[in-house]
Amino acid sequence: MATKGSRIDRSAKWVLAAPLIAFTALFVVWPVAQGVQTGLYYFTLQNPEITFNGLENFRKVFSLPGFWDAVRFTALFAVVVTAVEAVLGFGLALLMNRTFPGKKLFFTALLLPIMIAPSLLGIMFRLLLNGDIGLAPAVLSGFGLDISLFAPGTVVPLLIVLDVLQWTPFIFLIVYSGLQSFPTDVLEAAQVDGAGKLRTLKSLVIPMMKPVIAAAVFLRMIDAIRTFDVIYVLTAGGPGRMTTTISIYIYKTAFESGDFGLAAAISTVVLLALLPLVPLVVKHIAQPEGSRS
Amino acid sequence: MWLTTGVVAVITFAVNIPWLNALMVSFKSEADIAHSPVGAFKPTLGNYANALWAAGYDFPKFFQNSAMIALGAVAAVLLLAVPSAYAAVRLGLGGRLIINGASSLRLLPAIFFAVPYFLLMSNLGIIDTVPGLIIANTFLNLPLGIILISAGLQDIPIEIEEAAAIDGANSYRTLYSVVLPVLAPTLVAVAVLVFIFSWNDYLFALILSSSNATPVTLGAANFVTSTGIRWGDISAASILSTLPPVLFALFAQRYLVSGLSAGAVKG
Repeated sequence: MATKGSRIDRSAKWVLAAPLIAFTALFVVWPVAQGVQTGLYYFTLQNPEITFNGLENFRKVFSLPGFWDAVRFTALFAVVVTAVEAVLGFGLALLMNRTFPGKKLFFTALLLPIMIAPSLLGIMFRLLLNGDIGLAPAVLSGFGLDISLFAPGTVVPLLIVLDVLQWTPFIFLIVYSGLQSFPTDVLEAAQVDGAGKLRTLKSLVIPMMKPVIAAAVFLRMIDAIRTFDVIYVLTAGGPGRMTTTISIYIYKTAFESGDFGLAAAISTVVLLALLPLVPLVVKHIAQPEGSRS
Repeated sequence: MWLTTGVVAVITFAVNIPWLNALMVSFKSEADIAHSPVGAFKPTLGNYANALWAAGYDFPKFFQNSAMIALGAVAAVLLLAVPSAYAAVRLGLGGRLIINGASSLRLLPAIFFAVPYFLLMSNLGIIDTVPGLIIANTFLNLPLGIILISAGLQDIPIEIEEAAAIDGANSYRTLYSVVLPVLAPTLVAVAVLVFIFSWNDYLFALILSSSNATPVTLGAANFVTSTGIRWGDISAASILSTLPPVLFALFAQRYLVSGLSAGAVKG
């Protein structure tokens, strides 16, 4: 690293970083501290008095059935969609990793779902699935399947399908990019040695792609856990609490029940639960210094 | 080879069904929509006219809000992230603190900041304002910006900067005239991604705006009148709302791909 001796340069790093430091102090550190602290107070919108509550809110969190339902649903949802998308995305990346007519066009078209705002996509889904005017029920009933898509039995699989439709391209994109830097000479050597396609896949491609797939899965899982927009627009967490993710649950506690203190406590609990993942993030996602020349 | 084309075509079609359907419906008159979802119809631009000009909808304002918020966030993220990433990566400020901090923040659900931001914005008097939402979206996208720009900086050979130092340039000069031009592709990638994510934000728009600073992600839901949901109008509005991020992405596709996969794919 170039060391510079002049006084301008010694202070430069502070001057350059000053805007970020100021922004972080006001809009990151302060809200985080506020967020944790609010959990310690009885703070609801109905009651003008804000009284210190200690750990009462936190105790309450663990006894709320709604909380555990939300945790269960969020975990189920995140794991299932990530798994399905990982398999489909990986397969799609392998498929796309050849030359064939129209490849460029399809590649562009595959990027589109992830560009659309999830809330807008939610509205488009509602249109598609609407009982009266939707295309999907009409087509399905043509096949003899007269199902109401928002019924308790079908709504969860439905949301899973919708998430897969939107986010498979995300995993595809990351894995595909990884495949581009795959050393072709290794593949050629395997072919020379007489290895078949499937064998090459199993023993060469998959092991070497593991870090990339792992990173893609990790990124997707983090986002899946945080799902709010599309589900909120489609079902508002219902029927009942059936499709309430943890984000929706916190939102409703704060802005529909008006209990800021409790919402903050739940948020803090979730934060603490995710904390063990931080070292993993740092190790796999942030670029380690010196890994590139 | 054609089999591959076939399979990929089916998958590509499947994932795009929702917006393709919305596109189709956006050209249908309300009567045609109510009549049947399948079958031929006579395309009409009436829904688009309604979305843009009908009284009481306010769509142009939502669109304008979205544009100002997204562009504002892009500018803010670049202005904040570039100097500090340079300070951290090249000038050794804080070691890995900035980068690790950014990575950790990326992990947290945005909802965690919902209540604090609501309170903070209310106290600062900027609730339901465009600047307020710019700040919120800057906050949301800053970690990504820092991570990508740091990675981009580490890719630049140090020799370029050392040559500039020998020529007598100080840190500011080096950053401005030597590093920035080389960093341009990364900056474009960050700009594209921050624009798209800010445009598409819903949660913070929901919490921090009510009538004045509403962006399109929220405004599309406004097409519910006393006579029920006007699906034709909503579809048209949704398609229009989706255009800017999509167009951005299409024109900057190369940068988009490198940006989205950076941090996951090394070298």
